[in-house]
Amino acid sequence: MTEVLAGLSSRAIASGLGVLLLVACSTGGSTQQSASSTDVTQWVAWGGQELTAYRDVLKPFESKTGIKVHVTTNRESTTAIANGIEAGTELPDIAPGPTDPVQLKSWVGKGALKPLESFLDMKAYTDNTYPALTTPPGGASDDPYIGIIGGKHYLEMIKTQVKGLFWYNKKVFTGQAPKTFDDLLAINPSQYGAQKLFCAGFESGGDSGWPASDQLHNIIMRQSGDQVYTDWINGKKKWTSPEIKLGYQTFLKEVSAANVYGGPNTALSTNFGKAGDPLFKSPAGCLFLEQATFIANFFTQNTPGLKAGTDFDFFGHPSVNSQYDGNVNGFYDNVAMYNSTPAAKQLMQYLATKDAQQIWANDGGTLGAIKTLNYNDPIYKRAAEVAGSAKNLLVTAGDFMPSDMRKAYWQSLLNVTRTPSSLDSQLAHLDQVQTAAYSTS
Amino acid sequence: MEQFITAIAAVIFVPLVLLGYIILGERVVERLPERLQIWIRPYFWALPAIGFATIFMVYPLLRTVVLSFRNNADTTWVGLNNYVYFFTFPDTLTSLRNSLLWLIFYTSISVALGLVIAILLDRVRYESLAKIAIFLPVPISAVAASIIWKFMFDYQPPGTTQTGTLNALLGLAGQQPVAWLVNSTTNNAALIFVGIWSITGFCMVIISASLKAISTEVLEAARMDGANEFRIVQLIVTPLLWPTITVVGTTMIINALKTFDIVYVLTAGAYDTDVIATQMFNQLANAHYGRAAAVGVVLFVAIVPLLVVNIRRFQQQEEQR
Repeated sequence: MTEVLAGLSSRAIASGLGVLLLVACSTGGSTQQSASSTDVTQWVAWGGQELTAYRDVLKPFESKTGIKVHVTTNRESTTAIANGIEAGTELPDIAPGPTDPVQLKSWVGKGALKPLESFLDMKAYTDNTYPALTTPPGGASDDPYIGIIGGKHYLEMIKTQVKGLFWYNKKVFTGQAPKTFDDLLAINPSQYGAQKLFCAGFESGGDSGWPASDQLHNIIMRQSGDQVYTDWINGKKKWTSPEIKLGYQTFLKEVSAANVYGGPNTALSTNFGKAGDPLFKSPAGCLFLEQATFIANFFTQNTPGLKAGTDFDFFGHPSVNSQYDGNVNGFYDNVAMYNSTPAAKQLMQYLATKDAQQIWANDGGTLGAIKTLNYNDPIYKRAAEVAGSAKNLLVTAGDFMPSDMRKAYWQSLLNVTRTPSSLDSQLAHLDQVQTAAYSTS
Repeated sequence: MEQFITAIAAVIFVPLVLLGYIILGERVVERLPERLQIWIRPYFWALPAIGFATIFMVYPLLRTVVLSFRNNADTTWVGLNNYVYFFTFPDTLTSLRNSLLWLIFYTSISVALGLVIAILLDRVRYESLAKIAIFLPVPISAVAASIIWKFMFDYQPPGTTQTGTLNALLGLAGQQPVAWLVNSTTNNAALIFVGIWSITGFCMVIISASLKAISTEVLEAARMDGANEFRIVQLIVTPLLWPTITVVGTTMIINALKTFDIVYVLTAGAYDTDVIATQMFNQLANAHYGRAAAVGVVLFVAIVPLLVVNIRRFQQQEEQR
């Protein structure tokens, strides 16, 4: 090989290399260009059934427009996009927006996020969608929790779920839904042949603790109201404040050794998806599981043969302080646009239509963001009523805290569940994290 | 398709360009005066390697050090703030403590077990079979090993069927199940145990190879002089293995300090099990680039002396040959 090469003249080698370099440069250059006009790259956080449902939503769009949507599941998309913006590398055309308000403002400031106003009929969009997802309370121009900065919308709402519902096995719990939280705690599980009042499962890999945080969110927003709740998200309410501490203490009643199936260790070691399994055992391990609408999928998956509405049902979160009864905890799935291509705009427009979201509703497992969808599933039909009747559809507090605050918060719930006596030291530690997290993020 | 072309370009064109660099450059060097040629040639040949190392190792290293003194947006200097945070915040101190636990127990137990097993297996007939069994966990990726152990540590409510192997065994012995990964007295030990389980085979293989190199004449001479097997291991085998043990030991210390996957998969740092590397990951994931860089620098500074020891050992061994 070397001899052959040595036989060639230097000039021949040099010109050959030059051509190679040119080719290398030109191919490298062409990959820098964004997708063509008939392609859209999209990152989603969904997998499994949710992703299959989304592909169903895309089918009519792709066949009608000829646009190919390249969907990639990326559950760390916020980190990846943040790094992409910092480094100036290519971003997906469409992906979920950030939940951290500071990050949202920063991305809007850098022009990475494109406002919905630039391609969507905003009147139709706000008229159709649950108002709590599109309209800031009191007409404020900024509401980063629903993606509004400077009066412009950056997150397009496409799906929603209701949290804080108490699920039960209809064959076991035959009583009336309790009116107040105290009524709920007063129910004697053995009266219905169940071992304990509640089931719980807080394990969720790197995100362990979030199911516990949902229980706490639903207490605090109904116990101390939406103002305290929002201040708490914003870092303006200390963790050691009486309201938050009272919330934790109330939460601890739900996971006490006396009330939770298998004791705290079981709650901590059980994955959230399996938490409801003891509801359907005989004898029942527990009477109730507090979880969002999506849990119905897990019930039917884990215990085949169950039918929503016939075998299991839910009641809304009982009142904690009647003054705040209209507060409902929901969350949403959104899409945001990072590259303003005609194809991406068309897809964004399509996803906001009733036609698109109805496909989701038909596939089941979620509520759409549009108020007037039809649900075949009795569970979702009722959940849509809960969402529609909410005075305030409040977001999930943990999701909107700076990420280090959120992580410390989730871990604190695991720690107090394990060792309730550590509550004060855990809250003091959270205050410390709060000071650091909100000042530097 | 475009990505495919770029990949081909990287795989084929880069080596071709390097080859061209050497051939063309050699033509140029040949025309220089003889003395200059001898002086310039090694630098010329080493230049591409030095270039790659500078771009991909030295530059990122220097940049990390700089970032550790900057704020997250890399806009202003913040002095030692990131380091102060690292050495004063309770969470990072916990991770430091845990890394220290890893360093002590993971290193000492895996090396000691590796040594003992190597010596014992050297004396049995089914040596290779036994070695394979102990070496089996080594090629399993740490993530897969952690998932296996997640099942082993599984906890079910007392009084129900235990699906975790360990708690099933406890149940057979009439004991209550233990929440291995939740309980703060067992969780760090459980994680370190997984680390030891997956690396002991590696220590054993390296030490065993070195053990085979000890001349049987030395051992026989000792036996003739009346030394028993314990004395032989204590006075002959162990001292002769010492250079190998040092290299394996320092490698294990580096492993212990870098531990990430086992902790991340099994507990994700919950219940006070964070280590330095998971802490670095958390800081990165939370977009605290300055703090993450500071953690990285601390880790680097802790590892450098060990690297030096390792490299010196290698050099000594080279010289002995």
